[in-house]
Amino acid sequence: MKFPPRQDGPGLNRRNFLQTFAAAGAGMMIMRPGELLAQMATSAVGKSGSDELRLALVGIGAQGRVLMDDVLKIPNVRFVAVCDIWDYNLTYGQRYLKKSGYEVNAYHDFEDMLSKEKSLDAVIVATPDFWHAPVTNACLKAGLHVYCEKMMSNTIEGARSMVQTMRETGRLLQIGHQRRSNPRYLVALNRLIKEANIPGRITTVNGQWNRAVSEDLGWPQRYALSADVLKRYGFDDMHMFRNWRWFKKCGGGPLSDLGAHQIDIFNWFLGTPPTTVIASGGNDYYKNHEWFDNAMVIYEYNRPEGVTRAFYQVQTTTSAGGGYFEQFMGTEGTVRMSEDPKYTAIYREANAPDWEKWINLHYLAAGKAEPGADSDADSATKVDARETAELAAYTLPVILNKPPHQPHLENFFAAIRGKATLNCPADEAFRSESAIFKASEAVLTKSLITLKPEDSIA
Amino acid sequence: MLFAGLEKFSGKITMQQPLLDANGTPDASGAVVEVSKKVYGFAHYQAIPQSLQDKFAQEPLLPAFLTTPFYLLLGYLLIALGVALLLGVRTREALLGIGLIFSLLTVGLILIGQEQGVAWLGIHILLVSAALVLSPYNRWSITRA
Repeated sequence: MKFPPRQDGPGLNRRNFLQTFAAAGAGMMIMRPGELLAQMATSAVGKSGSDELRLALVGIGAQGRVLMDDVLKIPNVRFVAVCDIWDYNLTYGQRYLKKSGYEVNAYHDFEDMLSKEKSLDAVIVATPDFWHAPVTNACLKAGLHVYCEKMMSNTIEGARSMVQTMRETGRLLQIGHQRRSNPRYLVALNRLIKEANIPGRITTVNGQWNRAVSEDLGWPQRYALSADVLKRYGFDDMHMFRNWRWFKKCGGGPLSDLGAHQIDIFNWFLGTPPTTVIASGGNDYYKNHEWFDNAMVIYEYNRPEGVTRAFYQVQTTTSAGGGYFEQFMGTEGTVRMSEDPKYTAIYREANAPDWEKWINLHYLAAGKAEPGADSDADSATKVDARETAELAAYTLPVILNKPPHQPHLENFFAAIRGKATLNCPADEAFRSESAIFKASEAVLTKSLITLKPEDSIA
Repeated sequence: MLFAGLEKFSGKITMQQPLLDANGTPDASGAVVEVSKKVYGFAHYQAIPQSLQDKFAQEPLLPAFLTTPFYLLLGYLLIALGVALLLGVRTREALLGIGLIFSLLTVGLILIGQEQGVAWLGIHILLVSAALVLSPYNRWSITRA
């Protein structure tokens, strides 16, 4: 009997094997946990045996529908199941996907779905925040990769458990801070700030998201959930179910809903979590909400080049104030980013070094006055001779020709296929979100809170 | 005059291209930039900005049967008169033509209340008038002034 020839490949002997193994081990030691998990998943392909990934969507509310729509624009992924406790959402999702050419199984309970759907590769979680951790942890333990909407959880313990489960299971867990995959933001950070040093030393950060007063969400009476179902899933009544973002046991309030995206950008761009936070806020308008409606937050960041202070405000009682943005203000310029390009601008201080090189590389484009700016303003209207001359405005020429969540989903699917590392793995998201939990705490306790390094490590 | 006419045929085109770093390497994010470029061509011909055309269209004293041929000819006339003036071909006639165009434009701007534009064109008309007065001393003329 003849043995088949060895399949080790050319040059593979015991010494080479040991060297390769040692090098791989050293590589793992210096990787971030999220990167490591992404590397571990590189061998993963769709369970169908093809390159196609089979997905389930848990939570078909407003955000779930946005993600569903975006997934439908991405090739080689298909929904096979949807899950929502509310028939109104579940029927919508099932019918919408049928119109898009996908017959999907519908479930009211995610555990039921996990027990029956054995061909899933990944799950997209867009439930109310307090269900993120239970659903995500169950999916990870079932061997599935998970894309979970931000905030990770309504409690820091819940968020921490998600990171730990990600590590234990070796599955991928992407958190839905979608700006992290937006090429406009990536160019602003990597090209404008890190390479070109457009702002100079960043001394101040300013961000906001203001929204006008709006009515609470209602529901068609014939679709009201029974008291038994509401209780089983942690809601007191239908009003809480539909307006969960405003209740402490379900969500994190406006600093979590809107601020999470933008405070995440503070932490990501500055490269470190803050060291202290003070804040003020309150239930100024809505008397039937538990979470405050308006909040103002000041963080302090200790960076190698010095202290940076960051102010963030979220108002839900007025939409005035110039839109939503994150503005990085330095000694030589300002980079104001927004998911909406119309609020994005770059300003040059008079003493800044020449930007010609960066303009020629198309990192930024010269000259478009800020809307409303009047260069012919009468000098008599100037109130103070010390007023600085108006800054020259520039634009960011990078465009995003797809919905804002799509690149983040594409990054998640590419990571599952081993073709990318996650742009926002759970451990990285936790590092950032820990500062958001602390801001809410500062509003509630009306005190200065010091963030210890271990607070941002799960 | 010549360049004022040429500018009537200018336009901006916007192209999308990958963002490259100083070494010509595409950005890792796959970023695409929009780059605007100024070009000239008959396809970009516009006699006066659309915002001004809209205002003229609302003026009862400027009927379309007068403005339409004016818009069609303005750019070509400015180039032809500018070339004639530069080469010294029929200089007096060219100056008269230019003066007439400026006067017509001034009337339009008076009707829509663009005082700054009126003053600007008024200076041009003064210069053209001075040139006409001095045209007998023009030594660069190919044809007789």
